[in-house]
Amino acid sequence: MRINAGNLKKGEFVFFQGEICQVQKADFYSPGKGSALMKARLKNLVSAKNVEYAYKSNEQVEVLDVTSVDMQYIYKDQENLYFMDEQTFNQSALPISVVGDISRFFKEGEKMFVYMYNDKPLTIRPPMSVRLKIVEADDAAKGDTVSGAKKPVKVETGATVMVPIFVKVGETISINPETGEYTGRV
Amino acid sequence: MKIQTTVGNLENYKIYLQVEKAVHEFMEKNNYLKINLPVLSPALIPESYLQVFETEFKFLDKKEKLYLTPSPELFLKRLLAHGVGDCYYLGKSFRNSDPPASLHSYEFMMLEFYKLGVNYLEMADIVLELLKSINKQLRITNDELKKIRNPKSVINNQIIYQDKTISFKKWEKITVSQAFEKYAGISEKELFDHKLFIKKSKEKGYRVDGFNYEDLWSQIYSQEIEPNLGKNGFPTLIYDYPKEFAALAKLNKNKRTIQRFEFYIEGIELGDCYTELTDWKEQELRFNKERSVIHPIDKGYIEALKYGLQDCSGIAIGLERLAMIFANVDSIDKLKLINIS
Repeated sequence: MRINAGNLKKGEFVFFQGEICQVQKADFYSPGKGSALMKARLKNLVSAKNVEYAYKSNEQVEVLDVTSVDMQYIYKDQENLYFMDEQTFNQSALPISVVGDISRFFKEGEKMFVYMYNDKPLTIRPPMSVRLKIVEADDAAKGDTVSGAKKPVKVETGATVMVPIFVKVGETISINPETGEYTGRV
Repeated sequence: MKIQTTVGNLENYKIYLQVEKAVHEFMEKNNYLKINLPVLSPALIPESYLQVFETEFKFLDKKEKLYLTPSPELFLKRLLAHGVGDCYYLGKSFRNSDPPASLHSYEFMMLEFYKLGVNYLEMADIVLELLKSINKQLRITNDELKKIRNPKSVINNQIIYQDKTISFKKWEKITVSQAFEKYAGISEKELFDHKLFIKKSKEKGYRVDGFNYEDLWSQIYSQEIEPNLGKNGFPTLIYDYPKEFAALAKLNKNKRTIQRFEFYIEGIELGDCYTELTDWKEQELRFNKERSVIHPIDKGYIEALKYGLQDCSGIAIGLERLAMIFANVDSIDKLKLINIS
């Protein structure tokens, strides 16, 4: 589908210099020196590198028609994350560098959506929140009653998260995987 | 859009307040008159690249359209023509179609000041003094900032922004033409010749079909020039823009460029200055060339110029962006206690 670059949104997929990229950020602005622009940060889904590009806001851009497929995250190795289509049992691999930091919150066996284009997996659709158990945490330091005080804890996937000091080992918490922030106890 | 309370920004907000206070003090000390102004106006200056907010005044069965001012210029120039002398406005300006982003907001604090009898490059010296003066007056209570600010850096007129030291001792000066040559490989000849410029843009891989010189110029400026400005330890003063970008600025003798500069720190545009156009006939001609604007045109502006505007220069500075530099944050919303986005 062709759209004006001024309508580009975070999360959409475009071709840029012949390669598939995902829009990480898109800021519209009028610089006061000519026409309005759309400043986009594009992540190349092959090299996993980010590139900044200023589109003219009324420039036509081809947005890719992608599908999202329900898959199970099965395991990872040094480079890739592996997913399985639960209908067809087909396996797909996605480079960790493409999926990004968010993958540190993935638990084996969890269901996720993977974006596909022409039967090729592109990246995952980030879940709104993930629920993970705390496996390591220090007790709150005595006397530390400052409101909003936080401490680091380790969750079952090995990732470290900052949580309020009252949260304890064994509890399950919800996390926004995109920001890595604690959002509550479950 | 949603209202967000962002009280976690309190320390940054306090820095913003200090920057605002330091500006008022600098202006007062240097005899600029503080001008309070309406933000709603029944007519505006035609600047077709600025989108404006429109509202309506209602009284019984009478209605009249009013517009939020995208800049205080139309009011300040009238006052200058009537002899108020050096003056400034520090308050809200409004630009529609600028969604909230790290460096943009549809409403923002604008500092605009005018000095009689100076040209744009002389104005640049005053801006440098303003930056030094703000830096000297800041009293930091924020622990994070204390780590990167020490008395020596203040004496040396330096700040640290995003891990880089920036000195206010001098400008790094570059003309627009030199910058296009240096950063985009576009020669002076190509820069000023529309056909050659479009040809060169195409060679560089930009989409040119259906776009004019201004569109492409603005795209390349943003993509290839801006990210390099203000990155060599000093703020960058980039000056002498092509005449196509001259709503209200005076032409240079070469007739190709205008007396306009912008200044940058770490790729961020902080201010825009002109030697003001005082020739009312030329101004009327330029207004008539402006493409369609939705609002009534402020004819009184031309009348004010006819009345006689003395030679002067004016600069507009986005105060939140400037405060962002002193607070060492990368987004203007980090300075605010209430954010709407």
